[in-house]
Amino acid sequence: MRRGLMSWSREELPASVLDERVARLRAGMERDGLAAVLVYTSFAEPAAVHWLSNFTPYWSEAMLLVLPAEAPILLASLTPRVHGWIREVSHLGEVVSAPRLAQGALEMLAGKGVRSGSRIGVVGLDSLPAAVAGPLMKGWGTASVVDAGPLFTALRQPCGKEELALANRALAIGLAAVAGVPGDVRNTSELAAAIEASARAAGAEEVLHRVAPDLSRAGALRRLEGEFPLGPTYALELSVAYKGHWVRLGGSHARGARPAGWDAVEAWVGESLSRLAETGADGLAAMPARQSRWSLESCVGVQPLTLARTHEQEFVHLPPGSLAVFSAHAALDGGGHWYHSAPLVLGGGGLRGQVLGG
Amino acid sequence: MSTKLGQERGARLRAAMEQAGLDLMVVTGNAWRSDYLRYVLDVTPMEGQAVAFVTANDAWLMVETPAEAERIAAEQPGLNVAWHADLLARVRKALDAARPERTGLAPAHSTPALLACSAAGAGMRASTALLDDLMVRKTAAEADRVEEAVRLADEGYEIFRAAARVGRKEFELVGELEAWLRTQGCPENFMIMGSGGKEVRTMRPPGERRLAAGDLVTTELTPCLDGYYAQICRTLVLGDPTREQLDAYQVYLDALEAGIAAVKPGNTHGDVARAQNDVFRRHGLGEYVTSKYTRVRGHGMGLYVDGPHVLEDVDLVLEPDMTLVVHPNTYHPVAGYIVLGDTVRVTAGGCKVLTRTPRELRSAPAVSA
Repeated sequence: MRRGLMSWSREELPASVLDERVARLRAGMERDGLAAVLVYTSFAEPAAVHWLSNFTPYWSEAMLLVLPAEAPILLASLTPRVHGWIREVSHLGEVVSAPRLAQGALEMLAGKGVRSGSRIGVVGLDSLPAAVAGPLMKGWGTASVVDAGPLFTALRQPCGKEELALANRALAIGLAAVAGVPGDVRNTSELAAAIEASARAAGAEEVLHRVAPDLSRAGALRRLEGEFPLGPTYALELSVAYKGHWVRLGGSHARGARPAGWDAVEAWVGESLSRLAETGADGLAAMPARQSRWSLESCVGVQPLTLARTHEQEFVHLPPGSLAVFSAHAALDGGGHWYHSAPLVLGGGGLRGQVLGG
Repeated sequence: MSTKLGQERGARLRAAMEQAGLDLMVVTGNAWRSDYLRYVLDVTPMEGQAVAFVTANDAWLMVETPAEAERIAAEQPGLNVAWHADLLARVRKALDAARPERTGLAPAHSTPALLACSAAGAGMRASTALLDDLMVRKTAAEADRVEEAVRLADEGYEIFRAAARVGRKEFELVGELEAWLRTQGCPENFMIMGSGGKEVRTMRPPGERRLAAGDLVTTELTPCLDGYYAQICRTLVLGDPTREQLDAYQVYLDALEAGIAAVKPGNTHGDVARAQNDVFRRHGLGEYVTSKYTRVRGHGMGLYVDGPHVLEDVDLVLEPDMTLVVHPNTYHPVAGYIVLGDTVRVTAGGCKVLTRTPRELRSAPAVSA
């Protein structure tokens, strides 16, 4: 669940921005001949509903119904007792209690006069939970329920200035937390506690940590369950959410002398980030390391970050102006491992992006 | 998780699969519903979907990203982990190649639609019931894990109570507790709270409200250790409690005692709920234990909220080593929203109350932070 501050700042994200996003979705619905679009949300797949309404369920699940001519309707499995809270943190039309989401959606579609059997779209249909998908398809007709994922992905990026500002705020929270880690931190528990105390006090909605506790031994970033001693060098990755906006940042840290190979790979990542912000991901130079890999992630669907590209393959094309996270891992020539991760706005096609600075 | 507990869970799973005539069990999960994956492979997804495959003598995992694959492989040496950006399509192909009558697929609620539409999807309810049965009817070693998590819940509540000060924002209070939980190696904590007076009708995530003198501060704190959760529900007053608050609270104390007295082998979740609700009804507060307010009187505790809730119409029969939280949480028309709940373990002769935090309505000094 989300454990930090969940709220909506109308100053940071005006309702008009959310209205404009919904309008873009409606334009796509009209092009694709969709009478309605349903978007599922849980905290594993919160991103699409949040982008359209600023709502993320702290628990349980919900569906957003977008119709051509009225404010989005939230069907919520959450108890009606929290509908007041939902309204505080979201920009919505009706909020309807729907313990069984599919049945609630079917009744709402009928109640709103959507013609039975007309085409409706679901963002992320393939991953829609079976308990929702089954009754929905049975009730509406499988052939009439289509995947609206490609439609949504096509309009999700590039990011707007409000989203960029919120991502910068999330990054600043993460950077301040990392800067505040005591130099004599001994283990992953102390590390995580220092990070969370800082980030949550600064208003982080969530902080997820992955740590490679000893880069001289292994570079794999692990979930923190239990406690691990930190080696002379370690890597820390933070995924920070601020008011529903996620960024990922990470780096390698030396508690004593910096390993010899770090300067070269850090120079490489600096050059790569500059290039990504200027021209995009094509033609990045090879990393000066024994083994290496990199990835680009972006918010293009229901997950906060989706894998868009690796050093080997492109999975989702990100247009210039996309808010993305660049991550690089290396096994160094002289031994040991290294890791870095940073958010940026991709450039290309004459558009100049930027590396986020917090 | 200890190797022994992992082997014990694996042996129970494979015995159940054999009895059900299954050669292959396919289990899905994500960060929202990771409990089934946690049971079969001790895996907790952080991002994206993950799918486990378990046969009589092998197990492997497929995930969506290289980061998740590398992480889980590092955490579980010996487990074969592969990643595919088109994970669901790949798994669907594997399901289509399997014999549906010998293949289990679970959980029925949250398995992605593309997989649920395979031929194996027809048996999802039975496969889920098979796993639910294993997860609700715990071994002694599993119940021991819940006991360990209760220690964290008790200690964590004292941190919460000490941090509750007038002028503090709710999210700052929770942030202090979360930081402490990380010092204990605790990766997860489900937590909601409320603060204020009679106008508060529920708990929710922490907000920007500043705590004020006279507030009732409620919380449901649910830390996780080794995958197993335990819960404590408590209410405190910032300052001295009023006579009205104390009188209202007595109903909850009586209801909790009545509910716990009903926790014994052979009784049902319904019996535990009824015992609590009868106390409210005797005080003329029956309306407040209906769906109009809060009707859930507890739930199982384990790798998630185990099994069905504690409700009057639930006939799940209690057995030794089942673990559950009993909580008569609801709104009181005089005092506002009050919560009180203990985690208990069913024993051969009744139950063992695991929660040690005092139950009385405690106060924290009404001084500014």
